[in-house]
Amino acid sequence: MQCSIRSVIGITLILASLPACTSTHIDQFRQAATSINKGESIVILGRRQNNNYDTDGKFVKCVGATVANGNDRIRVIPEQEFLDAMFPFFEPRTAPVRTAHLKQLMAVSEARQRLKDYGLGYIVWVDGTTRRSGQYGNINCSITPAGGGCFGFNSWQDDSRFEAEVWNLDTLESVGSISTDSNGQSYLPALLLPIPLIAQVEASACSGLGRQLKQFITGKGT
Amino acid sequence: MLRANNSMYIPRLLAFCLVLLALTGCATSTIVLNGTYPAPLVRKIPLTLGVYYPPELRNYAFTETDAETGDKQYLLQIGASQLKLFNTLLPALFDKVVLLDSVQPMPGTGAIDAVFIPAIAEFQLGLPHKTRMQVYEIWMKYDLKLSKTNGEQIADWVMTAYGKAPQESLQLVDSGVQNAAMVAMRDLAASLTLGFAEVPAVKAWLQAGHRNAVTQGYGE
Repeated sequence: MQCSIRSVIGITLILASLPACTSTHIDQFRQAATSINKGESIVILGRRQNNNYDTDGKFVKCVGATVANGNDRIRVIPEQEFLDAMFPFFEPRTAPVRTAHLKQLMAVSEARQRLKDYGLGYIVWVDGTTRRSGQYGNINCSITPAGGGCFGFNSWQDDSRFEAEVWNLDTLESVGSISTDSNGQSYLPALLLPIPLIAQVEASACSGLGRQLKQFITGKGT
Repeated sequence: MLRANNSMYIPRLLAFCLVLLALTGCATSTIVLNGTYPAPLVRKIPLTLGVYYPPELRNYAFTETDAETGDKQYLLQIGASQLKLFNTLLPALFDKVVLLDSVQPMPGTGAIDAVFIPAIAEFQLGLPHKTRMQVYEIWMKYDLKLSKTNGEQIADWVMTAYGKAPQESLQLVDSGVQNAAMVAMRDLAASLTLGFAEVPAVKAWLQAGHRNAVTQGYGE
């Protein structure tokens, strides 16, 4: 009996370590040439003007971490630090939505000086969300004096769609955008123990977007 | 002997836990709003502003009740966070800020150009389990007054603030409400910073008597 429980736990752990399949599609649209000088930095900000959703701060942080790592890394100013330093110009209600608004903002000497102090080359606006659909199945768990366990099956689909628009702070123009569409089906079978086979959809979108963004800004993604 | 003691203990312990759980389920949870706010990045308006916080603002609290049972579910203590917000915001907006104990400054307070009196007129809370949306929401309506030191009114205007924060898995209600409140109060601070000198009555007063007071409007 003890041996069979160990086997079930072992199989569960092995299966749980196997991620479900995820597919990611990335599109890039370039409007102008880009490059970044040594010592220049960028900031990646989440769009939070939508009524139905907010771009997840954790996703923005994840993209920032991808861009800030590796041999071709770029210095990324943390989003919250930037929002606090530039307060109140990048709040959901006041943030520039178009580059024309950015030009207006640059007319405020305090804001212009703070951006210059940061050595900021580009502002990247990330907009999007992850939606869950097609959820089906049922899992029942019970506990009795003799023991407990779960039985059933659950599945769902996650779809992450994000777009990153890049603004050049020298020209005060948009230089292009990168969009990513990542989706995957997750499964949760339960035979005594639930075995999560989770599609890492958002992680895949983050990694793809971050790597492409780095290439785009350094000028290698032409 | 030990077994006999345990068998007596366990049912009592279970009963105690059930009573405790029932009481906890019925009790009102108190959430004290707190947070830190950044000082705005703007040129100071060259005015000495007196600020009076009415007791209604200092002690402002909101009770969220269950629509079906009428039970009080959450008590939000908001007053202290409001004072913290205004005490960060106003000194960054004006050359000098003087806290007042009454609407009209006492003799010897010093030269004050105007008295600012903020108040919360309305507060709304949106909880995910009630709205069926995966966000915590807070909406506030402020009644803001600016008057001369003799009590004569300069301006009386309304400002709204809105904040939402996504619901996260295994997140406590307290944390979700705090996050939404932080966004809402930053929203108010942003609106007041960029909009104070643009309120028509305030603008007229500034232009009439305080031409040196620089307007801080977006893009100016």
